[in-house]
Amino acid sequence: MSCMVPVEKGKEAPLAQMKRGVLEFCVLALLRDEERYGFDLVRELAELDGMVIGEGTIYPLLARLRREGLVDTRWRESSSGPPRRYYRMTASGRRALEGFIREWQRFRDAVDSVTGGEK
Amino acid sequence: MRTTSKDITAEYLRRLRSELRDLPREQRDEILREIEGHIAEATTRMGDAGEVGLRTLLDDLGDPADIAAEARERFGVRRGRAGGLEVAALILITIGGIIIPGLGWLVGVALLWASAAWSVGQKIAGTLLVPGGLALPAFLFFWAPGATTAVCIRHRVRGGVVRWCEGGASSTNEVLGWLVFGLLVAIQIGMTIYLARKMRAAEPQEG
Repeated sequence: MSCMVPVEKGKEAPLAQMKRGVLEFCVLALLRDEERYGFDLVRELAELDGMVIGEGTIYPLLARLRREGLVDTRWRESSSGPPRRYYRMTASGRRALEGFIREWQRFRDAVDSVTGGEK
Repeated sequence: MRTTSKDITAEYLRRLRSELRDLPREQRDEILREIEGHIAEATTRMGDAGEVGLRTLLDDLGDPADIAAEARERFGVRRGRAGGLEVAALILITIGGIIIPGLGWLVGVALLWASAAWSVGQKIAGTLLVPGGLALPAFLFFWAPGATTAVCIRHRVRGGVVRWCEGGASSTNEVLGWLVFGLLVAIQIGMTIYLARKMRAAEPQEG
């Protein structure tokens, strides 16, 4: 039994769109407990399996999160080289993340229950 | 000549800047700065990995076109920038003053300033160079009573072949007149092309 959603011409595969939407919460999740240097943040996200194509595509996302006030940044001196820009989550970022986690768990359980999930 | 690491990085950033041209300046600069910093940090950490290391690093970053596509998606900016407003503004500041004498150009200027596609500096330049658009040289040299060139041209129109210009030694004046005419036309057309190229997407509504 399959329920294929026809992909409109010129539109991205739904899964790619979903990944794009989820990625921003992965950024917030990595910033939940500590602020991070942009470079390390990007490297870490790029290592998540199948999430990101091209480390460079994360920077537009960081710029938008900053613009929306979900993260903010500050410059810190570095012992080796020029100052570094650190990202940290704002209070509204934290609220957005908490809301997402609740929705995501419901969504995941629902999908698993019809597709059979693993175990 | 061997390409150096600097050249490779500079070329990558140049391509990225060009691909990001649709974005509002602030976002474009932020993304460029961050990626430039990323490359600097990665090369420092790599130590001396040579050209292979650098090219691998840039591959990991991704194609500038992909980064720009992602940026447009994230900021809700559409590719293909010319909206109806901008096209109308450019047409009217160029030839609007000829179609509806004077007034057409003023409408064009109003549209130019109403659009978010240009910076204030570009709008000032577009307004002042050339005031009236192509209508200014056209007026000065074809319609203005007593304009030297106009006199010569009237000869040309009436007599078919122009033999001399009114007022004896006015051939220098005629040449000068044509020079100024050509210059004004060239400046206006150059300005229109410049503005067409510098057009950028308006920021998304929800900003």
